[in-house]
Formats: sequence, C-alpha cells, structure tokens
Amino acid sequence: MMKLTIIVTVAIVSILAIVFLVLSLFIVDQTQYAIVLRFGQIRKVISEPGLYTRTPFVDNVVRLSKRYYIYDIPVEKIITLDKKTLLVDSYAIWRIYDPKKFLESVRTVSLALSRIDDVVYSGLRNTLAKLEFDDIVTGERQYLLDITEFARKNLVEFGIEIRDVRIKHTDLPKENQQAVFERMKSERQSIAALIRAEGQKEAQKIRSEADKQATIIRAQAMSEAERIKGSGEASATRIYAEAFSKDYEFYKLLRTLESYKNIIPNSVVIVGEDLSILEQMK
Amino acid sequence: MNTYTDLTFEGRKHFGEDLPTFNFEGPRASDILGTAKGGRSVKAKFVVILVLIPLVVVYIMTGVYQVDPSQVALVKTFGKYSYTTGPGIHLHAPYPFQSHVIVDVQTIRKQEIGFRTIRPGQYASKKEEALILTGDGNIVSVEAVVQFRVSDPVKFVFNVEKPEELVKFTTESALRERIAKRTVDEILTAERDKVAYEVQEVTQRLLNDYDVGITVLNVLLQEVVPPDPVIAAFDDVNNAKQDKERYINEALRYANNLIPVVEGEARKIVLEAEAYAQQKILQATGETQRFLSILKEYKSSPKITETRLRIETLEQVLPKAKTVILLDRSQRILLMNLENLLGGGSK
Repeated sequence: MMKLTIIVTVAIVSILAIVFLVLSLFIVDQTQYAIVLRFGQIRKVISEPGLYTRTPFVDNVVRLSKRYYIYDIPVEKIITLDKKTLLVDSYAIWRIYDPKKFLESVRTVSLALSRIDDVVYSGLRNTLAKLEFDDIVTGERQYLLDITEFARKNLVEFGIEIRDVRIKHTDLPKENQQAVFERMKSERQSIAALIRAEGQKEAQKIRSEADKQATIIRAQAMSEAERIKGSGEASATRIYAEAFSKDYEFYKLLRTLESYKNIIPNSVVIVGEDLSILEQMK
Repeated sequence: MNTYTDLTFEGRKHFGEDLPTFNFEGPRASDILGTAKGGRSVKAKFVVILVLIPLVVVYIMTGVYQVDPSQVALVKTFGKYSYTTGPGIHLHAPYPFQSHVIVDVQTIRKQEIGFRTIRPGQYASKKEEALILTGDGNIVSVEAVVQFRVSDPVKFVFNVEKPEELVKFTTESALRERIAKRTVDEILTAERDKVAYEVQEVTQRLLNDYDVGITVLNVLLQEVVPPDPVIAAFDDVNNAKQDKERYINEALRYANNLIPVVEGEARKIVLEAEAYAQQKILQATGETQRFLSILKEYKSSPKITETRLRIETLEQVLPKAKTVILLDRSQRILLMNLENLLGGGSK
C-alpha cells in the first residue's frame, strides 16, 4: 500500500510539474509578435520567433501578426477640382510595426482598419480634391505617393506602418457612367456615318470614272464611225461621178425617170401641154 | 491524433512497406486479449508497455510529414524558420519542438479580374471590376488573368497575410493605371498586348517592392471590349467598314462590267459604220455598172432608147398615181381617171 501511495504521489507531482512547465513556456511563431501582459500591463514585447517563458496564471500572452495585411478600403466618393464626382476604390498594404503602440492605441485589427479607413479617406479626399478629374484618372504616381506619405505619418502613432496605398478602381457614378456611354455611342455613330459616307464617296467616284470612260469610248467609236461612213460615202460619190460624167444628158433622163417611180404613186399628177416628156401620152 | 491517422493513411497508401510499426498494432491488441487470463502484475506491466509504445509512436509521428513533388516544406523550430525540405517523406522533431508549413512552389496560380470561373468552361463576369476608365474619358470592359508562382516560399509564407489577394489587387491597380494612359481605340486594337506586358511589369515591380517572393509569369488580357450598352455602336463601326468595302466593291463591279460592255458597243458602232461604207461603195459600183451598161445601148440608138425608157416608166408608174390631170393647149382637162376624181378617193 505504501508503495502505491508513493507511486501515485510521484505521478501527481510530475504531472503538476509538466503542467507548470507547459504553462510557463510558449512559442512565438515566425509570423507573430508576442506581448506578455501581466494583469493587463505590458511586461514584455517579443518580436523574434522562438521559445519563451512566462509566469503561469499571471502572465497573459497576446499575439499579433507581423505579416503585411491587405485592406480593401470601401469605395469613396470624391469631388474633383473641376467639380466632377469620382468613385475611388483603394486599398492599403500595412502591418503592425510597433506592437506595443498598437496594443496601447488600437488593440485589435478591426479597430486598426477603421483607423486606416479614416486616415486614408481623408488623405485621398484632401489630395484628390486639389486635382482635376483627368489628372486623377491618368496620372496617379505622384498623388499616391503623397497619400501614402500622409497615411504613414498619421498612423505612425498607432504602431501601424503603411507600406503602400494604391487605387484599384476609379469609377464614375451610375448617372455619369450613363452619360459617358451615351457620348461613346454618339461618337461611334458619327465615326460609322463618316466611314459609310467615305465608302459612298469612293464608290461614286469609281462609278463616275467608269461612266466617263464609257462616254469617251462611245464618242470615240462614233467619231470613228462617222469617219468611216464619210470615207465610204466619198468613195461612192467618186464612183458615181466618174461613171455619170460619161453622159450627163442620159444620166439626167435616167435619174428623172427613176424619180417618177418614187414620186408619182398615190399622188395627183397634172400634166401640161408643154411638158414634152409626156407627149407620148396624148 | 488526427494528424497521426491522416498520416498513417497517407503513409499506407504510398509507403505501405516503409511503416512496419503499424502492422504490429493489430496482432498485439489480440495478444492482450489472449493473455488476459494470465498473472495479474505481469499482465498489468505488459498492458502499460503495450499502451505506451503506440502512444510514443503516435507522438513521434507528429514529426512525420510528406511533401508532394510540386511542394516544399518550411520547417520551424519553436516557431522560428530553420530549413526547407523538398518532395518526399520526412521527419522532424515532434510537436511542440518543430512544425512545418507546406507551400506549393511549382503549380501556376492564377487570379481572375473582371470575371470568375464558376466551373471549367463557365464564367461569370464581374462588371464593377471589369469596367475601367480610359485616358480619353471613355470606358472599356477588361477581363484579365494574372498567372504567378511562388519564387521564394519563405517570403511567401512569412511576409504577407493573403498573398493571393495582394497579387489580385496589385494587378488590378496596375491594369487600371496602364489603361488610363490610353484611348479606348488604342486599347481595343493595337495596344492590347502592350498593356498586358506593361501590367505584368508594373505588378512584378510592386511585388518585388513588397518582397513577398512571387514571380508574375503572365498577365493575360481576356476579353477587352466596349461596355455592353455601347457594344452595338462599336459593332456598327465595324459594319460601316464592311459597308464601305461593299460600296467600293459594288462600284468596282459596276465599272468592270460597264467598260467591256461599252467597248463592245463601240466595236459594234464602228463595224456598222464600216458596213455602211462598204454598202455605199458597193451600191455605187452596182448602180454605175448598170448605168454604164444601159449607156452603151443608148449610145447605139439614143432616140429609140429614150422614148422606150420614158414610156416604160410611165406605164409602170402612172397607174399607181391617184389622179392624172392632163391639160391641153386650150386648158381643158382631160380626165384620165374620172371615177377617182369624183369619188374623191372614197372608193
């Protein structure tokens, strides 16, 4: 019985010892800060990973991340210098660089985010309100540096380091967007109309050119035809003249008789006494 | 315990023969039952040992870990990073002395901007992300994918909370910046590839600044189009270009068709003229030959021939006349065709 009691006692003592040891040791991860609090008071700030000791039941360990956080800042409405409204969607890259200050001032990450929100928003608004719409949209490098600098300065006291503030999106409010769409539409419509008109102009030019060519070709042919006809008629005339000049009187007779064939049918013929050519008729 | 069972399972699947320890578990358990009727103190010792051995094994197993071919493991000693191991099965000191983080360093990761893949082949567009203001005050819809890989697992794991989100946001911001430097026409046409390239560069530069161990492999612009409400107008510009081509082609066809037709016509006119000229010449030749033949006859007896020709002609011609009125020296009218004259041609 004695032996059993001893064994049990040893076991209990060693278990208690192990529990005590476990409670007085803690590990700090590569990605963490650890702050040892005694009754809410900061006793020690640990920023190097490793194995550390604390007083069990008295010390409380709070861990904070060392890593960079990305905070997607809610979209903010900004009035630019030229009185236009712009929706700015920004984000901040930040981390806790002084855990002591952080814990003293903001305590939790969600509170830190609202603090960052406030500061970045006021930085954005102050900087962008001095700029024109186009400068905000197209040239961000300089003003982002200003905003980052502003945010950094104002958040230092909270133990927060702002690594970068950047703009993810600059958008127009719905109604302005609609106006832009309308303008884009009308721009395109005028471009389309211009292209069509150009096409028609060019087509018309091609057609007119062709018509012109056609007219020239026809006229050339006509002129050629007239020339050919003329030379034919000339030849014919020469042939007639050559032959008929052999006996003018006979030609006259023959031609006159010939003409009767065409003139007399269906007409009233009055023949006078003196018309000797008809003396055979009496 | 969970880790242990998971690992045994994994281990059995891949390395069945390498873990003989587990094969003893079963048989030993039945041994316990088999010897349960033996001596009490010996039995108790035996039971204690049999319980302890598996517990120790399980404890050691918390140090066993497996790394897949595309991965590396970062081993931490008391939370502090100490070394990296490659693929294979490894052992480190058990909890709480050492722990590990596994990072996939080979697989190409991606983030989607302006759309989401719901399942392979099916996408949903995210308009508020896709619409970007251009330098000339217009709006385009841009969908992009950024592909990246972990180049430094230590930095990747220890320096940033949500590296994927960081990559996405950085790319989005770079994309917005580069698009804002251009006009809508440039983005939709020639500058597309350049934008993608510049975005990759800017993103990489920023990520290098943040020192998070990420290499951007590619920024791929997917669909770069005008926003939905104006897409019809943009399409119409393309249609207009087609129309322009069509107008010109139609005109060319007209011209190409017209000229040969007119040339044919011209040829016809010339040929007709030639025919006419030939006809005139031939007619003249024929007529003159006839004249010359008759002339020859006439020369031999002119008086007779003349009279004959006259009579013959009148014979032939006068019957066809409507009326012939002959006047003699006393101006009396000799009626040749009384009936016709009285009837006034009414017959």
